[in-house]
Amino acid sequence: MNSSVSSSHNSVLINLKIKFSKLLQQPTFLIGSVLVIILSYLVIAPIVSIFSNSVSLTMMDAMLSGGKDGEFTYKYVDRVFASSISEKIFWVPLKNSLTVSFFATLIALTLGLILASLVTSTNIFGRKYLGFLLIIPYMLPSQAMATAWLTMFKNRKISGPQGMLESFGITPPDWLAYGPLPISICMALSYFPFAFLLFSSALSKIDIQLEEVASTLGAKTKVIWSKIILPLLIPTTMSVLLLTVARTLGTFATPYILGTPAKYTLLSTSLYSSVRSNDSGVVAVIAIVLSLIGVMLLLVDIWVVRKWQRFVTVGGKGVKRQPSKLGILRTPTTLFAWVIFLIAALGPFIVLALSTLMREPGNFAFSNFGLAYWTGVNVPGMDQPGIFTSPEVITALKNSFLIAGSASVICGFLGLLIGYAVVRLPGTLISGFLRQISFLPYLMPGLAFAAAYLSLFAVSRGPIPALYGSISLLILVMVVTYLPYASRSGISAMMQVGPEPEEAGMVLGAGFWRRITSILAPLQKSALIIAIILPFITGMKELSLVVMLVTPGTELLTTQSIRFLDFGYTQLANATILIIGVVVMISVLILNRLTKTNLASGLGG
Amino acid sequence: MSEIKLKSIVKNFGGNSIAVDNLSEIFPDGEFVCLLGPSGCGKTTTLRMIAGLETPDSGEISYGEKIFFSSKNGEFIKTENRNLGLMFQSYALWPHMTVFKNIVFGLEMQKKSLDEKEKRYLELEKLFHLENFRDRYPSELSGGQQQRVALARMLAMKPNLLLLDEPLSNLDSNLRLEMRSELKRLHQSLGCTIIFVTHDQMEAMTLATSIAVMNKGKIEQIAKPMEIYNNPKSLFVAKFVGSPQMNIINSDKDENLALCLSKKLNIEKNKVKNFGARPESIKMVQQNNGDINAKIETIQPTGADWIVGLNVSGKSIFVISSEQPIGKENDTIGIDFKVEGCHSFDSNDLRIVKS
Repeated sequence: MNSSVSSSHNSVLINLKIKFSKLLQQPTFLIGSVLVIILSYLVIAPIVSIFSNSVSLTMMDAMLSGGKDGEFTYKYVDRVFASSISEKIFWVPLKNSLTVSFFATLIALTLGLILASLVTSTNIFGRKYLGFLLIIPYMLPSQAMATAWLTMFKNRKISGPQGMLESFGITPPDWLAYGPLPISICMALSYFPFAFLLFSSALSKIDIQLEEVASTLGAKTKVIWSKIILPLLIPTTMSVLLLTVARTLGTFATPYILGTPAKYTLLSTSLYSSVRSNDSGVVAVIAIVLSLIGVMLLLVDIWVVRKWQRFVTVGGKGVKRQPSKLGILRTPTTLFAWVIFLIAALGPFIVLALSTLMREPGNFAFSNFGLAYWTGVNVPGMDQPGIFTSPEVITALKNSFLIAGSASVICGFLGLLIGYAVVRLPGTLISGFLRQISFLPYLMPGLAFAAAYLSLFAVSRGPIPALYGSISLLILVMVVTYLPYASRSGISAMMQVGPEPEEAGMVLGAGFWRRITSILAPLQKSALIIAIILPFITGMKELSLVVMLVTPGTELLTTQSIRFLDFGYTQLANATILIIGVVVMISVLILNRLTKTNLASGLGG
Repeated sequence: MSEIKLKSIVKNFGGNSIAVDNLSEIFPDGEFVCLLGPSGCGKTTTLRMIAGLETPDSGEISYGEKIFFSSKNGEFIKTENRNLGLMFQSYALWPHMTVFKNIVFGLEMQKKSLDEKEKRYLELEKLFHLENFRDRYPSELSGGQQQRVALARMLAMKPNLLLLDEPLSNLDSNLRLEMRSELKRLHQSLGCTIIFVTHDQMEAMTLATSIAVMNKGKIEQIAKPMEIYNNPKSLFVAKFVGSPQMNIINSDKDENLALCLSKKLNIEKNKVKNFGARPESIKMVQQNNGDINAKIETIQPTGADWIVGLNVSGKSIFVISSEQPIGKENDTIGIDFKVEGCHSFDSNDLRIVKS
């Protein structure tokens, strides 16, 4: 009896000893554990806090209606779903959101599919350039399209300078200027490049031999498309559909800019007004609903992908599809593709740029052009300094660089670290947990996540001080939101390298740090650079995530442009958006240069 | 004696099947041992456990006096300190280092002086014909050159134990032949112990001084190559070694042929579950002159000899003949079995050894 106890005790010790020596050889386990602790707090805590907020009485309400601060209550659930104001704050916005999402997704999907087919598989003119040019709208901040629309179609309903059409004497009707129609179109034009990217890559992945077999059996191009290619694109179509719906639901800028004048509220803008009116219970409930819709869409997507797995074709010899000749349709299709580029990418840019250069909109006299909105000390009629002399813009520019820059650097390293732990600890609890938890923020729309952070960090908790109003909160929330992309690319980068290079070093006597510094780090250099630049680009144009977390002094370029719009300084807003566009474009070019590949594929996320 | 001892090694990756199943074996000093088996038989896992890249769930691994791993007292020597050479199937050359940097990496770890590194590099450069490649990167080398760099990198520190994980499978057939003789020459000149993992029975036959045939995490038979070929211990070994495969004749399904072989081998048919006949042990003769008649189905000339597909009362078998077959497709001929190439296996798939 006694001896068996001591021997089992002994074997535990021996086991520990082996584990310890393994740990010294490969301290991945340690890295993984530390990551688990940090991520648990950053990801799970906000979620927990938002759930608890949705059912606990706020101090304000406690004072008004009696009851204790933090007491359990269904008050907010009730207020959102079944009160006198629930129609206004929830049901109508929900209906509007679904309507707008439906149309925007429909347009984006159709445009994406048609353009991808044209560019990858036909001989339209300029296909080489279109592949890149059609992705540009995706790089512009989402408010660029909306403000360009406003600059063009705005009428006297709202204050500020005249719209361009109006200055020509044409007054656009309200339904064209504001509300569901422009919101759907602008969202579609912002998001179709995403569909375009996914369809293009799916089309180029279809094994060309599948089509060649059909043509040897006598099928014409038209039949090949209808019977083989399009059916094979079904899984991609479903993914595009669901992900675009998810994106449109979480978009804030477009409905805020184009919906507010017509009092057309979406869930995202309704959430924002609740934040502004400090109704944290309602905020929590709406954020949960938004997240649940996100989770549902994602689950459907996973289910679809699994169900259609049999459609996944293993690539053949990598032969490119011969572009099919369009014949008589060549000119009209070319025209169509370039017009889309003009409307979605070049148009907004020109409209925004023109509006900042013309003192009076619509007056094309040479004397009307000038740089007052850019360099003026005091812009006439606004009592505001020009962009380059405005202290607010300078601060916002600094903040944008600081916040997006630090967040992307942290994201890059964190992603690789997570990738390392996940790939090197296969089959363990830590690996699975890290994979799941770093993916979790993907399920919540940026607005909901921001709401969660707002409620978590508004007051100090334990060792963590109240971060509301600080730059670090913005960095933190950005890091966590981009974590799914960062960890995914980190994992795939680590997978690509595989364990062999490191093991080869191990056999030759290199210790852990030596392996990291002289083998792994140089091998991952380019992956790291990409992993930093990509979130930087997204961070520079981020709005919905940060709009409710900024305070005076921590404004970013994106939020500053919204402020300008709020005050009716359309030209200043447009100029600010142009600055963002330029910074993003330069980053994209740098990335292109560094990776020598088509970066667009990386933005897909 | 620096022999490698494996004692009751068990390794389970948590799947349905066990990777290495209570494996005990001794690989003597100076041998060129081939671990041969189909994919998933545990041969690479065994190699990686010797290298220390995997840890066994239980058991003991030792090399000479040094205990690499023991689950009894928790002994574990880190890979870094085992002082052995390992070559990967992918070679795992570091793409960001030049040929020189790759090769002297191990010496750098031992903080050797620049002179020593230079001296050893020049030796290896000569040995593996790597002149002019010093400042190239691995991506600028051909497959054969990469292979030689990997060999040089492994040998830079003069390890006494070399572990090779399918090092030839990424090469084309000409280069493979060349590298096989290179490896054989290396083994003879260095006198070190080599453990070589492969699924290619031809590679194992030509290279090894002893072959360990593995199946489902166990070693089925370990012996000298010709011994494995001539006296396979089990049906699995018999089938795995030899190309074209040994003809397997089931004593129930292929009755006529089985009856014929049982007479030839002088063994009761009902004691035997399967008979085996090596393709080169079957001789084609004129109709009715052999042990049994057969119909020619296919003739495949390989240049050096002919692989002939025969049908013996419904059973398809293959024959290798160094002479032109005496008939053409659809002709009926006779066949003669040579006793030394024919075997019988019992219901446990073990070879029946006649006393």
